Amino acid sequence: MWPSIQYYCPCMSATNGQTPSPPPPTLASSSASFHPLHNLYFCEECDIVRCNRCVSVEVSGYYCPNCLFEVPSASVRAEKNRCARNCFSCPICRSTLSVVASDPPDDGDGRPSVSLSNVGEAPYFLYCNHCRWDSAGVDITFEKPTGLAAQLQKFEDSAPESLEFERLKEHFEPFLRTSSLSSSSHLPAVSSHHLHTSSATAAASAALAREIPGVGKHNPLGRSRAGRDRTANKDEMPEYKSRVEAGVFSQLGGGGDDVDVELLKHMETVEEVAKLDQRWGNSWAASLRSSDLRPHRIPLHSKVSKRCPACRHILIKPEQKAQSVRYKIKLVAANYLPAITVGFPQTQATRRVTSKAPSSGADGKNGVMQSGTSNPFQLALTNPLYDPIQVRLSPQRVADARSYQVSLPTTPFSIAAFAEAWEYDDDEDMFGVEDDELGIGDVGRGTRDKEARGRLKNVGVLERRANVTTVGGEVNIKPGFRGNVKFNMLVTYTYRSDDPLPSEDGAGTPSRSTKPPEVKTFSFYTVIDLGPSVVPKDDKLDAES
Amino acid sequence: MPPIRDKFTIHSKAVVCQDVDLKGDITIGPSSVVHPKATIFALGGPIVIGSGCIIEEAAIIVNRRKEVMRIGDNNLFEIGCRVESPSIGTNNTISTRARVHHTVRISNFCVIGAGCLVVPTEDEILEEYTSVYGPASERRIWSGRGKVQEADLRIKHAEYLREMLPKFNRLRRGDGA
Repeated sequence: MWPSIQYYCPCMSATNGQTPSPPPPTLASSSASFHPLHNLYFCEECDIVRCNRCVSVEVSGYYCPNCLFEVPSASVRAEKNRCARNCFSCPICRSTLSVVASDPPDDGDGRPSVSLSNVGEAPYFLYCNHCRWDSAGVDITFEKPTGLAAQLQKFEDSAPESLEFERLKEHFEPFLRTSSLSSSSHLPAVSSHHLHTSSATAAASAALAREIPGVGKHNPLGRSRAGRDRTANKDEMPEYKSRVEAGVFSQLGGGGDDVDVELLKHMETVEEVAKLDQRWGNSWAASLRSSDLRPHRIPLHSKVSKRCPACRHILIKPEQKAQSVRYKIKLVAANYLPAITVGFPQTQATRRVTSKAPSSGADGKNGVMQSGTSNPFQLALTNPLYDPIQVRLSPQRVADARSYQVSLPTTPFSIAAFAEAWEYDDDEDMFGVEDDELGIGDVGRGTRDKEARGRLKNVGVLERRANVTTVGGEVNIKPGFRGNVKFNMLVTYTYRSDDPLPSEDGAGTPSRSTKPPEVKTFSFYTVIDLGPSVVPKDDKLDAES
Repeated sequence: MPPIRDKFTIHSKAVVCQDVDLKGDITIGPSSVVHPKATIFALGGPIVIGSGCIIEEAAIIVNRRKEVMRIGDNNLFEIGCRVESPSIGTNNTISTRARVHHTVRISNFCVIGAGCLVVPTEDEILEEYTSVYGPASERRIWSGRGKVQEADLRIKHAEYLREMLPKFNRLRRGDGA
């Protein structure tokens, strides 16, 4: 919702030396380049903001979200990306199943004469505490309550679909190996991964061309060339014989069209048919009936670490342990860039709320701006660094001169350094201290601010508290403008670079005493969305007539 | 509407805390447990609660009808549920913050899941072993496997509460006592 601010990641635009400027915010496509601050990373080596679109992601570990067991990546594939311990999800409602023992044999009156001991008796089965589904209904019971996945694995592996798939893999294995070997020997320049897939697709298309008459003729140019290269391979490959006829598969799950129609004819409630999301993890040939659904092992989750695409340095890396939610390395942009929040002044906000009732009701969900007025807004900048910074805001000129004009203080202003103590007490004590800590050129700027405030009472530095400085701006909406008031803003800040930044690896922290303080500048773009502007009722009539 | 006459009949083996809100003609059977802050209103006809029931905190049981509202044995009313059902069988569970309307009669071994609404417009009797679950209050029939263990657990639960609650709460006695 507006008012909102998002930060720009330059990865989508071509860089040509200088700071790349973002696309105009009025374009719908620009939203892809802007991100909330908490989604962004910061690479210290490249001195650049990185977003989730441009970082390279690698899996640093797999774990089961239910038992939090860390699965070694070697066995993830063999276990088909699912937990191989005792974790199952209910096929009906997807909650976690628990293993329960069977009831003792009923002695007639339905109530046990003696209190049951905690040890149950076999057979054990899976039971959903949420919807009361149990696996005995689909004939899954266990002799002992441990190693259930291994016990179920037998059923899974003996299913005709998975047997067929294993056979297919086996069949293509030698072919893939030879083709990748041969191609890597005489085509070393191309990446092996690419070749691997292309040979696989070539094999598939060759097989297709052989099976279906006519397909071979329509092969695209590239494909036919690939086929010629590997003529020998193609001939070597033996024909694949499936275990079962293809038509038989549809009857496996008790399906087949006639049976399905019969089932639907006699259906009484919708719940009897398994929903698509319940059947998603099964093969295509599974039965339609929800009573036939079987429990799934719980899919594994992964922890990922992210690297800078340019310098390959790690930007964020979680701790290995599944239980831990902390990070070993965490270079997030929020630790480097000042956090900005946009708001409307209190009086303005209340005025909007009260004035919205008589004005047009359709858009009046929140306070909306009216065209032909000037609307003040406030930016609160929070400094995450341990040094005071000087910030300059420069809003990008709005392309359409008939829309709106943004005025912001153009003179640089300072934000005091971040100190942990300020997290704890946020009362007025901090006011005296802060002026002493401000950097160079402070005195002159202060008076200039006052002048600015005199000239235009909404624009300028409004408040300084701890490491937060609030500046006011104003947007002047031209009469007759309708639409969202959105503009790009370049934020440039200077900081002392020799002081330690809040970083884990401590890069760029030589001893402070030897060097004079060196001032560095960093700039980044943001987009500010102040929400829609509407044409007031009387103006609307004028504009339309 | 005539003024409601309070008449509480509480079995001597039942544990009913002092801080409960009772109104009307209420009978609570042996070894039932009523937690503090529970509400039982017999606005229309009387309410008769059987043995071994557990009524937890902030549960609300209301009878607006003229007829007797009968609640069977070994039922569990979890925290914050609201039940106006005119009759309830045995061994049912009404989970946390579930709501059951006065149009529904509950038979035996039913489970109303957490937060589920059972509010049909027409009168209905929940079949035995019905389980209502999920955000859309879907229904299915439980096979009943494991019910002996569950019943056993329920009895132990009530036993424990009967032992512990009086240590920390004043108890309410029936009119006769």
